[in-house]
Amino acid sequence: MKHRVHWMAIACGLIAGILFLRPVSSTAAASPDPEVIRIAAVAMQSAGKPGYMAAAQYVSEDQKLLAELQKRHVRLEWVPVSPTSVAALVNENFTSHRIDFAFYGDLPSIILNASGFQTRLVAPGNLGNNVYLVVPPASTAKSIADLKGKRIALHRGRPWEVSFGKLVASNGLKVTDFKIVNLNPQAGASALVAGSVDAFFTLDDAYLLSDKNVGRIIWSSQRAPLDWKMRAELWGTREFVEQHPELTQLLVNADLRAVAWISQEQHRSRYIKDLADRYGYPESVVQRDSENANVSWKDYWSPLYTPSVTQHYEAVAAYARSAGLIRTDVDVKTLIVPKFVDAGLKELSLGNYWVARATP
Amino acid sequence: MSGNTSAAAANSGPSLLSDLEIRRIDWSRLRVLGVLISPLLLLVAWTLVVRAHWFTEQILVPPSAVLEAFAEVWDSGELPDGLKISLYRLVIGFALGSVGGVALGTLLATSRQAQIYIGPTFNALRQVPTLALTPMFILLFGIGETLKVVIILKSTLFPVAIATLEAVRNIPRQYLEVGRAFRLRPWMQFRRIIFPASIPPILTGVRIALGRSWMVLVAVELLAADTGIGQMMEIGRQMLRIDIVMVGVIITGLIGFSLDRGLRLLEWAMLPWKRR
Amino acid sequence: MGDAALEAALMRTVVRVLQSLRGWILPALLLGLWEYTSHRDAAHAYAFVPLEQVLAALSERLSDGDLLHNLEGSLLRASLGLLSGVVFGIGVGALMATSTIALTLINPIYQSIRQVPLLGLTPLLGLWMGNGETAKVFIIALASFYPMVLNTYEGLRNVDTRYREVGYVYGFRRFQLFRRVLLPASLPSLFTGLQQAVPMAWIAAVGGELLFNVGAGLGNLMMQAETGARMDVIIVCTASITVLGIAMSYLASLLSAHALRWRQ
Repeated sequence: MKHRVHWMAIACGLIAGILFLRPVSSTAAASPDPEVIRIAAVAMQSAGKPGYMAAAQYVSEDQKLLAELQKRHVRLEWVPVSPTSVAALVNENFTSHRIDFAFYGDLPSIILNASGFQTRLVAPGNLGNNVYLVVPPASTAKSIADLKGKRIALHRGRPWEVSFGKLVASNGLKVTDFKIVNLNPQAGASALVAGSVDAFFTLDDAYLLSDKNVGRIIWSSQRAPLDWKMRAELWGTREFVEQHPELTQLLVNADLRAVAWISQEQHRSRYIKDLADRYGYPESVVQRDSENANVSWKDYWSPLYTPSVTQHYEAVAAYARSAGLIRTDVDVKTLIVPKFVDAGLKELSLGNYWVARATP
Repeated sequence: MSGNTSAAAANSGPSLLSDLEIRRIDWSRLRVLGVLISPLLLLVAWTLVVRAHWFTEQILVPPSAVLEAFAEVWDSGELPDGLKISLYRLVIGFALGSVGGVALGTLLATSRQAQIYIGPTFNALRQVPTLALTPMFILLFGIGETLKVVIILKSTLFPVAIATLEAVRNIPRQYLEVGRAFRLRPWMQFRRIIFPASIPPILTGVRIALGRSWMVLVAVELLAADTGIGQMMEIGRQMLRIDIVMVGVIITGLIGFSLDRGLRLLEWAMLPWKRR
Repeated sequence: MGDAALEAALMRTVVRVLQSLRGWILPALLLGLWEYTSHRDAAHAYAFVPLEQVLAALSERLSDGDLLHNLEGSLLRASLGLLSGVVFGIGVGALMATSTIALTLINPIYQSIRQVPLLGLTPLLGLWMGNGETAKVFIIALASFYPMVLNTYEGLRNVDTRYREVGYVYGFRRFQLFRRVLLPASLPSLFTGLQQAVPMAWIAAVGGELLFNVGAGLGNLMMQAETGARMDVIIVCTASITVLGIAMSYLASLLSAHALRWRQ
């Protein structure tokens, strides 16, 4: 009897020890360089290799960055995130200290910061992705007002929900005037085709539906004010950004190099082709999605911190609060950290390349 | 794993009857308490770990937060509504599936023709995992109630049909011969002989099917639903409200547990001659 | 005389062949119905893709290696999860069968966690273990764990008391008793558990891929297909998943039959 008790106790102790000690990954080690920087970015998997969205892909291929990091014995680790539910996945990764940076969207970042975990916006992304309102081909609806009271498939907590909020508000309506069906983009597309919902609000996968004649786009943010688009930026945890500013600077520089390359008109078609290949979308879809009437290709990619960025986020935070997605207010000003981009632009002699746009 | 006092019986103690009785009483009392020991320990450990801040708040929410979240979703109506809807779907799909399964199983077991014509298709379809069918079904049926009921139907029908098949096949020949000797019509044969003789395995099959169907329903609601308890968990996840997610996990567990116990009780009540 | 006999034999074979085809009537009818629906209009063709398209998608996916790559991914993950789940399941089951303290402590927790729909745990697991391979393998292991524990426990518990008595007569100590008597006697149960665990593990593998993050896997391929609403690829995936599931179950039963052949 006695030795049995002892043996059980040891076993319990071991199990408890393993369980408790495992996931505690190093939070905030003191300032010496970490061994690895982990970045999450939206990716599609094709033929075994992940292809990252937008600038992230070029940052991942940036040789200068890798060389610099190697000098400091720091590895760069990319965490691909499925487009199905970027928001939840990245936020979970942040809170469990599995990543230090992420290229992801505006609303999820606000949700994350509202929950108490702090991140910082270290490099703005492009002006934003376009969003679309799709209805079945047989539908008579011509605008959002026609859909009042109807069922709309919209993935909640994703950045384009804010765009939806703006569209709705501009028509004098409220989000609660609709029956929002919370479906990820795949299920939303299926639901539209099967007739379970009357409309679907999503990104450029809308073209895939309209090209197959199973959906009709009745509104797109291409006709709307520029800041209605959903934004995605480079975010870093507050800890990392404060404790390793030099590494953050290296990363931001790589991002700026990528963006400067993409923003040149002669690289535009190459960029579109690359993106289409990586995502498995037809090139025409990416092409159409990239057409924005009121802004030049170069300015579209401007990483400058204009007041419109701050305003955009204040609107996002206000929306999140009013939609009940967050319970505390977020001070947007603390999230914005322009110094890395400023320093980077100087270092790369890009100081005059972009001119701050007048607010739209 | 029903508790039994065979352990106590095996330790044959002193021969005095009263002593043995006392031993037995102690054991059963301990057993009742014993069920509570580990959950309590777990609860205590949980609270301690949260207090010690070994994990960030967002990862491991304290039990108190879970309770608060429970109150929150209960008051807002989200939980009661979600529960009602999920259970409603389960019951409908399950009822249809069980009845259909028993009918199909009996048919396959008793009719040679059915075996030949329907058998192969049945065997092929039953191997398809219900979850793998979900994307296909979503495209075919949309994301409304039809989808969920169809999925639960599929997930219930086949296990119940198979259990019925086995049960009916294993009815001792003598019973069936009695039925034939009495020249009973097929329906009377079914009602008086086949059905009662095959209930125990069928009920077990039904119980297992229920557990699986509940699991599949929650999975489908996580993937593609507008309402229901799975959906409540998914929205909670998207808003980074892990406390809501935990409420969902606990509730779905409790429901699964109650469903299982409920059916066991039914088994026990319906089969007095089989009580263990 | 010979001719008549030959003719009769021929007729018999023809009849036999026709008879064996009877099982195919229903599937053929269903497929025909499907094909008919798919040619009705664009919306129907979208969901009920014509069968030629399905076959085309199959060859397309096979040729660009996508299907095989994802298939390997799923299989690998499932095997890993299955192995860990089975090993742990046997361990814990044995523990509960031999030690009353372990039983009292572990049983309540086991019974309650078992009731939580596995895939409902994904949000929590995603948070605690990340959304990558670890979490996926864990879910698979958990799915195989449950039946293994149950069957190991029952198997060990139900070992005929006569065998135990023989062990006592031989003067075996606890561990020897376990190794020489209990374990072999409970092998049939263990293999029943294995056969139950295999389909559960496979379902958990696919389900996990549907709910967790990117990676190589048939579930992931299906999700990608769903984005582009490519029903043909979805059907190919579903079929592959089914076929592999059947193959794995069959392998498990072969293994069981082989290991238990001394019982026949």
